[in-house]
Amino acid sequence: MTFVAEKLVKTFPGVRALDGATLELAPGSVHALLGENGAGKSTLIKIITGVYQPDGGRIVLPDGREARFGGPHDAQRAGIGVVHQERNLIPAFSVAENIALSAVPKRLGFVDRTAMRDIARRCLAEFDVRLDVDAPVHTLSVAQMQLVEIAKALAVDSNVLLLDEPTASLTAEEADHLFTVVRRLRAANRSVVLVSHKLEEVFAVADTVTVLRDGRSIAEARPLADYTRDQIVDLMVGRTHQVVELTRSDVDVTATPALELSGVDTAAGHRDVSLAVRPGEIVGMYGLVGAGRSELARAILGLDRITAGTVRVHGAPVRIGSVRDAVHDHRIGYVTENRKEEGVFLEQPLTRNIAVTVWRRIARLGMIRRRDEEDLVRTYADRLGMRIAGPAQLAGQLSGGNQQKLSLAKWLAADCDILVIDEPTVGIDVRTRAAFHDLIAGLAGTGVAILLISSDLPEMITMADRILVMSDYRIVGEVANDHRYEPTSQAVIRMIHAATPASA
Amino acid sequence: MTTTDLDEPARSRFSAHTTEFTLAGIAALGYVVLAATTHGSVLSGDTITAILRFLAVPMMVGLSQMAVLAVGQMNLSVGVLTGFTAMASAWLMVQVGLPAWLAVAGGVLIGAGIGLVNGLIVVFTRINGFVVTLATMTIIDGLRFGVHGTGTYQHYSAGLVALGQGAVLGVPDVFILAVLVAVAVAVFFRRAALGRQLLASGGNPFAARLSGVSNDRSLVIAHLISGLLAGVAGVITVALSGSVNATVGDDLLLPSFAAPIIGGVALAGGVVSVVGTCLAALIVRLVDVAQAQYSINPEWVDLIIGAVVLGAVLVTQLRLGRRRRGR
Amino acid sequence: MTQHTPTLSPERSELPSPPARARALPFWANPRLGLLVVIVVLVVVFAAARPAFLNVGLTIVPMQSDLSVFVVVGLAQLAALSLGHMNLAIGPTAAFAMFAMGWACQDLHAPLLVGLLFGLAVGGLVGAAAGWTVATTGVNSFVVTLALNFALLGVVSLLYSGVGDGVAFSVHPAGMDTLRDNTFSDYCVGNVCGPPVPLVVPIAVVAAVIVAILYRRSRLGREILMTGANVKAAELSAIPTHRRIVQAHLLSGLLAGLAGFLLAVDNGAFSADIGSQFLLPSFLGPILGGTALAGGAVSVLGTVLGATLTEVVQTGLNLLQFQVEKSKIYIGIVLLLALSLDRARHVIAHRRGGRPA
Repeated sequence: MTFVAEKLVKTFPGVRALDGATLELAPGSVHALLGENGAGKSTLIKIITGVYQPDGGRIVLPDGREARFGGPHDAQRAGIGVVHQERNLIPAFSVAENIALSAVPKRLGFVDRTAMRDIARRCLAEFDVRLDVDAPVHTLSVAQMQLVEIAKALAVDSNVLLLDEPTASLTAEEADHLFTVVRRLRAANRSVVLVSHKLEEVFAVADTVTVLRDGRSIAEARPLADYTRDQIVDLMVGRTHQVVELTRSDVDVTATPALELSGVDTAAGHRDVSLAVRPGEIVGMYGLVGAGRSELARAILGLDRITAGTVRVHGAPVRIGSVRDAVHDHRIGYVTENRKEEGVFLEQPLTRNIAVTVWRRIARLGMIRRRDEEDLVRTYADRLGMRIAGPAQLAGQLSGGNQQKLSLAKWLAADCDILVIDEPTVGIDVRTRAAFHDLIAGLAGTGVAILLISSDLPEMITMADRILVMSDYRIVGEVANDHRYEPTSQAVIRMIHAATPASA
Repeated sequence: MTTTDLDEPARSRFSAHTTEFTLAGIAALGYVVLAATTHGSVLSGDTITAILRFLAVPMMVGLSQMAVLAVGQMNLSVGVLTGFTAMASAWLMVQVGLPAWLAVAGGVLIGAGIGLVNGLIVVFTRINGFVVTLATMTIIDGLRFGVHGTGTYQHYSAGLVALGQGAVLGVPDVFILAVLVAVAVAVFFRRAALGRQLLASGGNPFAARLSGVSNDRSLVIAHLISGLLAGVAGVITVALSGSVNATVGDDLLLPSFAAPIIGGVALAGGVVSVVGTCLAALIVRLVDVAQAQYSINPEWVDLIIGAVVLGAVLVTQLRLGRRRRGR
Repeated sequence: MTQHTPTLSPERSELPSPPARARALPFWANPRLGLLVVIVVLVVVFAAARPAFLNVGLTIVPMQSDLSVFVVVGLAQLAALSLGHMNLAIGPTAAFAMFAMGWACQDLHAPLLVGLLFGLAVGGLVGAAAGWTVATTGVNSFVVTLALNFALLGVVSLLYSGVGDGVAFSVHPAGMDTLRDNTFSDYCVGNVCGPPVPLVVPIAVVAAVIVAILYRRSRLGREILMTGANVKAAELSAIPTHRRIVQAHLLSGLLAGLAGFLLAVDNGAFSADIGSQFLLPSFLGPILGGTALAGGAVSVLGTVLGATLTEVVQTGLNLLQFQVEKSKIYIGIVLLLALSLDRARHVIAHRRGGRPA
């Protein structure tokens, strides 16, 4: 009666996302699926729910049949329900209509609105949520939308329910209600898979655990009680849990900060943010999703308004009105967290991707020589160790790691001496990640001031000289980093928990 | 009990309707102003009948375009398709000798059929709908002349023409037909499961797919409906004018966009408004009437419509922006 | 600052990546070449069916004049397409620009060149206004230029009846008739120059060359293309996207004005109906030529070839006694076929792992 996804393989251009991962679910249990970013959890879930087709391996349903999912609806009909990480709702439709979308109650070809509302209310009531089921979904907050997503999954009677970071936007109280439902499902002999970064949740509710690393299952369906939290983290992180000793030159603490914020408020909601990054220093900003770190980066770069306080670059107060100002006048670069959408131009050649920030500099009478662009590509491809076919190759054809290097290259070309780097190694394999860390440390060694935003604690502790902790758009504290994982990570996590509001 | 009650249900439900209320208000105001400034001449039964009679075709082409806008597509062939179905209907009556009702049915079916072809081409070739309908528009533009060259068809079914000119208690028969069709379209998008699927595909194709809705099917059906409504516009033209030639539909394309856009239909898909589209068509019609009444240069009408289209979209944009910032 | 950033050796840093994928498509699969082949084939076919097709005075010369107009019209749309936008107001913009020129020549007695520059400036200004509206309000360019199209239609008619003498200016500034009637062979001694090329052709050629250089070599062109490719990434890469959007639309309006001028020369008058036939050809040239609707990639050569193909088909069908209206059927079919072939090529290229040309 078990559900098994056996030795799944999935390759994307340049990346082997899953390399023989196995997930085995027993009925009447809650199973935790753990792994760092890029370990393959989302891919595994998308295969199980029919969004992707596997390149290898097979899925066996509880009744013994082998599953061939042509699409998400097939998976649903086979009894697999899911709450994806991203919101997938129809904005103009009501809450009820979204919840009932996969099985709309009909009467003679017309939608039965009353039955639909009943279904919606029933699903919401299962975890004690009250929402106006007739409200259009686009009027809801992010947290409310997540609740609708969960209700949507409950509307389909599933044997297997997958929850991918379900509590990311929820308050503690809402999360509690969700877990009550999870326990109820377990009692009703269903299987629930929980993917979560919050280990406290996992340990509170899960029975068994599978850990993914580099696309493979490291621990398979082992009882959670066999492990301590640290052992789990060890399994997830593998070698790199050993904090890498990076050779770092000492930072001159008396130097004028390259970038300094004093009492900064922003239109996005930040209050009284103060920080300083000295030349050659790596200052980390850690926080949970939604803490406001990327938004602060955007404000620094002129993409959002700063409503109070001062920003100083090399000691001089500045007003940065646009990215152009930031780059050309103050040499601040921003490596975005969203490289595919904002960091690289996928359909454009490498030449343009790298030279985009320096065209003004290399142009003669407004004209660009192709040779100059190609020289730039060669220079930075070498320096960053990028594996490319040629300067005219399209960025979309590079692997994830190379794309990330590409998104960094244009800032190096622009001679930036202040870099804001946002989640640099998301979705990148372990070996490239280590290379990236070397790279960033090397940049700092040449005097570049780096503000590093990351949700990856081991990465943060490896790289940063100091770690700022951000929660709810405020800096709640600073942790000095002696590069020892245990004490530093505990200090950071303690600070986060102290800051997180206990109720809605 | 959690505290996740949504505390402003009433307001959110009304936001979708404000455009429609505004348009109704504008139409009413416009009519009153017209009545007042022309010493009531527009209040005469004949004028009202004329206003409504010539509102039928713009309503249909506006709804035809709205049908594909619902799935985030565009149909550039709406205008010429109206002309072609008009010619085809007339041909069926004059050359083939079919009775009027059969020719009318034939015209509508031809429209639906061509709409279906549009949809199938878009889905199978995966070419942008704008470009596909640009090509089919060119083809159908020529086909209009393939029916009877540059000649005119007239003196076909007297019964049909009588219907075109007829009215019930001052309300033109063709207008009643148009209203019935509009109601059917509204019910389709609001209540029919298939119509909701079209809107789901337009609103969030990935979410729709996850829930088992076939986006390809939605595309094809939207184009089919669009063609069908253009066919209805064509047969109404046949009834209305008493004579048709191949230039019918030449000036229908841009109004087919203006009506839904002013009416609040989103270009990106997922939102429709039958009431808005029809009210917008009414407003444009009132502007026409004003032009005739005041002997304003007809070119001013184009200018005004352009300004109104832009204004309507700006307002929608501002409202979207305000809502997003409020988050 | 000395850069001692550690150079990373590729082997250590990367999983083995797939084989290099920059294999360009074989030479014969280049879409521009494909267009050329089709054009040549059609010319041969039409000439065989109607030898008058190759008659210089009767066919070739007028064809070149028409082609000049439609190439520039295509370029006007290309400028908007480079951003991933559309310009639905090219026709009325041309008419409006030419009204300005006609008025300048007639009422201000401006010489041809000054009048032309004035007209181009007006066209550019209209385009810039549209671009500014799109960039500032975020409203879709389709809607903005649709509204503009309506508005300008009205304005142009009003202006002509109000300021001009009805629907056209009768002024013929010195040089205009020469441009229309003469070809290069009128200026050459003997047969040195070869076949007669109407004087309007070099204007179109120069326009095409300038646009090509702009998008291929200049910083401005590159930044416009990047804005079209991904406006968010462009913004984050320090490109002044607002300014580039305005500039691209300005170019579109300016070229629309130029197309209007070439048509006015052809017709011999500045009239209100200039541009009434511009909408469809403005898309045909670029789309047949491979310019992407999504933005970020343009082909001037492709637009020229696409316009040529359209013109050849139209002229050929005309000579074969097809009514003008009915020949549209075939133009539409040609467009569909060309697009389907292009799609098929894309799909095949993807499967082979080659770089889409």
